[in-house]
Amino acid sequence: MAGRIRTTKQLAQRIQLDYFKKPFPLPLWKRRLSYGLVALGLLWLGWDSLSGKHAYNAGPLSHGHQIVAGNCQACHVQQGSFAMKASDAACTACHNAPAHQAKQLFTPPCASCHVEHQGAVRLAAMSDASCTVCHANLKVKEGQTAFATKIASFSQGHPEILAMRPNHAPDPGTIKLNHQIHLKKDLRGPDGLPVQLNCSDCHQQTHNVASGKPLSPNMAEVTFEKHCMSCHPLVFDSRMADPAPHKETKVVEAYVVAQYTSYIARHPDAVHEPVRLNPSLLGRPIPPAPRDAQEWIAQQTEEAERLLWQKSCKECHPLTYPAPSSRPEVPVAHETLRWMKNASFDHTAHQLVACAECHTEAPSSQRTEDVLLPVIATCQKCHREGQNAAGTYCSECHAYHDWSQAKPVRSTNSISQFAP
Amino acid sequence: MRIDSTHRPWAVIAAAALVISSVAYVLYASSQHGGLRGGTAMGLAFGIAGYVLMLFEGLLGARKKVPVWRLGRAQTWMRGHLWLGMITLPLILFHAGFAFRGPLTRVLMLLFFLVYASGILGAALQHYLPSMITSRVPLETIYEEIPHVRRQLRDEADALVDSLAVEVEHDDKVRFRESYRTAIRPFLDGPQPDALLANEQKATVLFESLRRGLPAALHPAVGDLASICEEERQLIVQRRIYHWLHAWLLVHVPLSIALLVLGGVHAVLALRY
Repeated sequence: MAGRIRTTKQLAQRIQLDYFKKPFPLPLWKRRLSYGLVALGLLWLGWDSLSGKHAYNAGPLSHGHQIVAGNCQACHVQQGSFAMKASDAACTACHNAPAHQAKQLFTPPCASCHVEHQGAVRLAAMSDASCTVCHANLKVKEGQTAFATKIASFSQGHPEILAMRPNHAPDPGTIKLNHQIHLKKDLRGPDGLPVQLNCSDCHQQTHNVASGKPLSPNMAEVTFEKHCMSCHPLVFDSRMADPAPHKETKVVEAYVVAQYTSYIARHPDAVHEPVRLNPSLLGRPIPPAPRDAQEWIAQQTEEAERLLWQKSCKECHPLTYPAPSSRPEVPVAHETLRWMKNASFDHTAHQLVACAECHTEAPSSQRTEDVLLPVIATCQKCHREGQNAAGTYCSECHAYHDWSQAKPVRSTNSISQFAP
Repeated sequence: MRIDSTHRPWAVIAAAALVISSVAYVLYASSQHGGLRGGTAMGLAFGIAGYVLMLFEGLLGARKKVPVWRLGRAQTWMRGHLWLGMITLPLILFHAGFAFRGPLTRVLMLLFFLVYASGILGAALQHYLPSMITSRVPLETIYEEIPHVRRQLRDEADALVDSLAVEVEHDDKVRFRESYRTAIRPFLDGPQPDALLANEQKATVLFESLRRGLPAALHPAVGDLASICEEERQLIVQRRIYHWLHAWLLVHVPLSIALLVLGGVHAVLALRY
């Protein structure tokens, strides 16, 4: 017997020619699962949409917009028959957004810079591209621009800080302050003991609780009462308990006269005492002994004013005398509290480094005219590209909107629109 | 489909597309605060390119429905499906900026990862298993015809045993038929991968002992039964390999279709809002 032989023909003949017309489990289940999954997905989307959850939401809103998270129409406005994009009108219904520059070529829509649905991000933090789209090759509608025209990034094309440019005006302040003397090591304090002054003894940020931040970003004004008087009291007579006030000279003069009037009233015998001339002030002959209290007051006041005008006040203020023998005039101090008019700076964010690390010229500065800001190269030591570096984003220092043009928003919304 | 040197052009095209899109992504994303987003011009470009490729991937199934249409060789479609599919995930990741914040986008990415992973698994299985079938199943048949062929084998065995045309003792015939009924017929009745006869060595031993207990005139019939059982065994192996070769499609295809539909919904809603 030849045994069982399986020829190709035999193998082929055992196949049913219409086998592909019959349903088989694998393709059947592929089809069932496909329909089922698609139906499940669409049902989920529909159910979520009807229940107001909006599964197709692109992502969570920023913290400030959480109140409208369930109300897409608060921002997305019907535009035409299909699109429902976030509109500028919806933004400005709640937010003031002053223009950037009158000469700018175009005004981008709000959402092109303030990108929502990114979660709890700071919406004001914009991409550099939003700025460099114009500033990398700045053109204006008409005339010339005063700004640098080729700023590609903080490290490419960004000009020097305005106040530190060579042609910038010097510090307009009128207080004759010598930083070097004030910061020297062997400085003597009011009690004669050595003191070491620090920058923060005079330059302080104010408490800023109302804004939600502990300290204001800028340094507060240096005031005589807070920062100078302890070492530079306006003492005009050792017999007077209080120094002269740090006010206009006519107020000072009135105060001095009042003090001496009060003193002679309490010490009538003092009228016979001769005027005590201040040994550090030369040029005044010893006046004759006063004949009465009025003359005593006049002589004492003249000597006290000599001390104040020629020594105490003059030490810091450039006094002018409009008329001979009259009271001097003290010019306005002109302390510049904010040097960077087109940028903002937060000292709190930079408190991890010593002041003189950035204000490098301050310890050696002897002139009031010196502008003691850091140069941009100092900023760029930390604010640089790459890892382990502070950011270089435009929005860290610059604001797009000209907030000096801010206007109050007059909303017509009701609470029930957001919290039904 | 075996992945061999014939795939090189497709692999090069896919690699080049990946490099170009990666460079474009890095350059664009590094210039943007917070990286690239789907709604930006570059993000939309990545999204459109990714979705078009996904549609092309899906067309492979449609192409199989019309095998006689002149739409290019099936192998070319398969290679395109494989290699263009490889770059779809990076394109979609670039489109999303590697961030999936919304519920729908998270579901889409989950689907995408599952489709991608099952596709890679499928490609690996399709690379290795067909050659295994060729070597281990010389009598391979069409998968869907396996039950029909198995019935034919059983009928052939039954006919062989019922119509013994050899002159042997009646008792030998009875013993032969009894052995067939108890040891062989159950194996031919239904797929039993753990049965004695499913093991080739054990089957050889069984048929050898059967031969020893039967007269020589019945040995050809025993040999034919052994051949039928061998064919049955091959069908079991083919069935098992086939399941490995195609079961992943139960994940890949439905998830792909759901991904395409929900991806389309995402695209429409994203353009609307």
